[in-house]
Amino acid sequence: MSRTFISAIVGIASFGLALAGVPARADENIGSPELIAAAKAEGKMILYTANYAEVEQDVIKEFNKRFPEIKIEMVRAPGGQLITRVKTEAAAGKLIADIVDHSDRALMLPLADLFQDYAPPNAADYDPASLVSPKYWPRITAVWSIAYNTEIIKEPPKTWMDLTKPQYDKLTGQVFAQSGGTTWTRIMFERQVLGEDYWAKQAATHPILYPSGAPMSDALVRGEIGLGPLLYNAVYPKQKDGAPLKVVFPPEGVPANPYATGIPKTAAHPNAAKLYLNWCLSREGQSFMIKEQGNLTSLKVAPVYPEGFDPKVEKVWYPNFDQYVKLHGAWVADWDKTFGYRQ
Amino acid sequence: MDGQVIGRRIEAAQSGIEGKRRDVMASVWVAFLLAILGFLVIYPVLTLLLGALTDTNPVVDGLSLKHLSIANFLTVVANPNVGEALLNTLIVCGGGTVIAVAIGLLFSWVVVRTNTPLRGLIAAASILPLFAPPLVAGVAWSILGSPKTGLINTAFKWAGVDWHVNFYSLSGLIFVFGIYYAPYVYMFTSSALRNMDPSLEEAAEISGASAFSTLFSVTFPLIMPAIVSGMLLSFIVMLGIYGVPAVLGAPSNINVLTTYIFKLTNWSPPLYNTAASVAIILMVVTGLLVFLQQMVLSGRSYTTVAGKAFRPRTLQLGRWRWFTFVLGLTYLLVVVILPMLALIVAAFRKFMFIRDVNALFDMRAYSLMHFNAVFDNPLTMRSIYNAVEVGIITALVGGTLAFALGYTIHRTRLPGRRAIDLISTVPIAIPGLVVGVAYLWAWIGVPGGLYGTIWILALAFIARFMPDTVKSLSTSFLQIHRELEEAAWVCGKGVLGTIASVVLPLARPGVIASMTLLFVLSIRELGSSLFLYTSDTMVMSVLLLDYYEGGNVGKTAAFSLVQMVLLGVLIGGAHWLARSASQGGIAQRIK
Repeated sequence: MSRTFISAIVGIASFGLALAGVPARADENIGSPELIAAAKAEGKMILYTANYAEVEQDVIKEFNKRFPEIKIEMVRAPGGQLITRVKTEAAAGKLIADIVDHSDRALMLPLADLFQDYAPPNAADYDPASLVSPKYWPRITAVWSIAYNTEIIKEPPKTWMDLTKPQYDKLTGQVFAQSGGTTWTRIMFERQVLGEDYWAKQAATHPILYPSGAPMSDALVRGEIGLGPLLYNAVYPKQKDGAPLKVVFPPEGVPANPYATGIPKTAAHPNAAKLYLNWCLSREGQSFMIKEQGNLTSLKVAPVYPEGFDPKVEKVWYPNFDQYVKLHGAWVADWDKTFGYRQ
Repeated sequence: MDGQVIGRRIEAAQSGIEGKRRDVMASVWVAFLLAILGFLVIYPVLTLLLGALTDTNPVVDGLSLKHLSIANFLTVVANPNVGEALLNTLIVCGGGTVIAVAIGLLFSWVVVRTNTPLRGLIAAASILPLFAPPLVAGVAWSILGSPKTGLINTAFKWAGVDWHVNFYSLSGLIFVFGIYYAPYVYMFTSSALRNMDPSLEEAAEISGASAFSTLFSVTFPLIMPAIVSGMLLSFIVMLGIYGVPAVLGAPSNINVLTTYIFKLTNWSPPLYNTAASVAIILMVVTGLLVFLQQMVLSGRSYTTVAGKAFRPRTLQLGRWRWFTFVLGLTYLLVVVILPMLALIVAAFRKFMFIRDVNALFDMRAYSLMHFNAVFDNPLTMRSIYNAVEVGIITALVGGTLAFALGYTIHRTRLPGRRAIDLISTVPIAIPGLVVGVAYLWAWIGVPGGLYGTIWILALAFIARFMPDTVKSLSTSFLQIHRELEEAAWVCGKGVLGTIASVVLPLARPGVIASMTLLFVLSIRELGSSLFLYTSDTMVMSVLLLDYYEGGNVGKTAAFSLVQMVLLGVLIGGAHWLARSASQGGIAQRIK
């Protein structure tokens, strides 16, 4: 065998390997030709989401590159309001949503009867730990990090424990526990993994409390605070635009919160809804949300990781769902007490 | 002889029939208005009360009284944090109202009654804060007045002075409330001053009173209904504002009732029933204030517009006019120029990290990226279109309804008018965030597909702002002397004829000003829209909150500027149209 031939074989093989590593493949199964045709015939669908509107617009735009015929309309509301809207509309027989996408799986679970059976073509590729009902799928998996303003913090923390150091006194911010599923995941992680006294240590740095990660990330950019725990997807788009922010994924573990996304039985555009969800849950869709928006994925094998996230080093931490439901009330009350957050 | 008797009897019988017919018509009219109020006000308020006294969602669980208990309400009342939020609310709104009355009254007097230079500019400055949505005002003043990163502190540092401001405080909130809600007082008092017969002031001066004592012993007491109405309205509006305390109070953990309610609805899981209970406390406070206003105003005559021509007179201030001029400019600087500059910086700057004054002038840090992103979003244009559509519907339908209500309350002696007055005042007492849920609960089941259309938003705004519109129209009605209407009746005009030929022309500036107010308020409205909009009917204020909650002060500022420019253009257009139509009526009124 000539050396040229061998190097050609190696070349082809490595090309194949490289292809396998390419996150999104055009030949990935996103839906049968019948589904795609039916979705195109419907021409539109309505998405209810707790995700931020402009972040979601980018996902829709990417989807529309492939399926420009399907117009996606959106209602975006914070978690609590979204649930009320869904419940009320459903009770009045006027649920307009074709997809409901929520960050708190515990709030969605009691509504499972409203949703139809649905599974994406790559259902088997999803980590069962992220699934709480066969009707809901983790379209988004958000991950926590420590974010800091590089203009203010010259000695950034490396671990979650570092965040409690007195040198950061009056420089930190926190999203309060009651804000929703993602924050609840983080504070559960803190108490279960970092220790019973971790909250008290963190509270000793006099954090400013924010209603959600987005205004906190803005306060971080402005320098109102210097650092604090933030969802990577609230930091990454700003970082990409050149804001003076950096993140650390601490070695003790990074809490991750999978969303619950489903298609109501009453969906008027079920095919378009399925196609959108199939695409979002596909390797292509997940890769986009990871690379461009700083999320993780609940796929067993991640197609790609967000910038700065090393899967060999970082330990992703998922909450035990039973505890996630049962501990919520009491632990959130404890948290409020520790941080002096008034109810 | 017999013929004459019969003739008289027929006449008497005819006038009896005529009288009965009028009675029937009057009852039908009152019933019609009460039915509208029932749908717009009573029904949603009842669902809200039900929400506060139960632990159920009336749509999901059905209208049942099974879980009725006041335990929910008592828990809320007993919570010390609610007490603290209530105290903060009273301090902030009380302090804000004092400032608003001082500013509003001062500038209405300066504009209407003095020869201060550039009065038109001061007049414009006096209403401009109305254009700024509260959230935008909050954001602008947090950029200016944050204790850590505020531009004012940065400027002090640069100038080497040892001063420091902190707007994340009760006094900061009072200041911002005061300057932003002064236009409510201004609108009421300036039109009252303009419509006041100066002969009373002249009489005082002839009797030897100084200009200053005339002001306090004649002028201000005469326009007392306008002052009290403006004061009360500004206080009540402040009670219901969310945006300003949300931005300025949150960093130092200062809660007022609205931010507390918003928290409750935003928590996961949301506590709407508790929120409804807190809202009831707010309603009680407001109800007391309205009662107080009635007590103060009842039994007095404030008629100042009678069937005699006059011109408001102008006071020659001499050199003092430069003092009032400087006051006007300072106000313009503080309420318009500084916050606008802050918003412009935020809208054009890539990131809001500003180390020092030099960094502020580093042009490399500026770009159009936020505007590009805003207009790249397909929701932007749709929300603008929807907001304008809702605004126009609300202004026209709401203005007409307010006229009908105001006329019935103030110009007739129909039975039931007091009930109409009372019911139409109720919505002012309910914060938008909570009443939004009540509207959703109440109207989602209305047959005919109201939900999901622009009309459900318009109806909610008409109901929510009914008190503002009716009250602002009332001043016009109170000032028109009955003798003018009586003159029309004597000339044989019917009720509708009198309204068309006398009342409407005289109250027209008031009507147009109320409709404009309604338009502005509905474009800015946020609380109810949040619950009632659907994918098709997203409005600007919801999108603005979305940008804010999305943590992007740049896009928030850029979109705020778009919104304010749009409001300016639309209202400027309406002003110009109205001026050409009514020779300055609206111009004077709006100014």
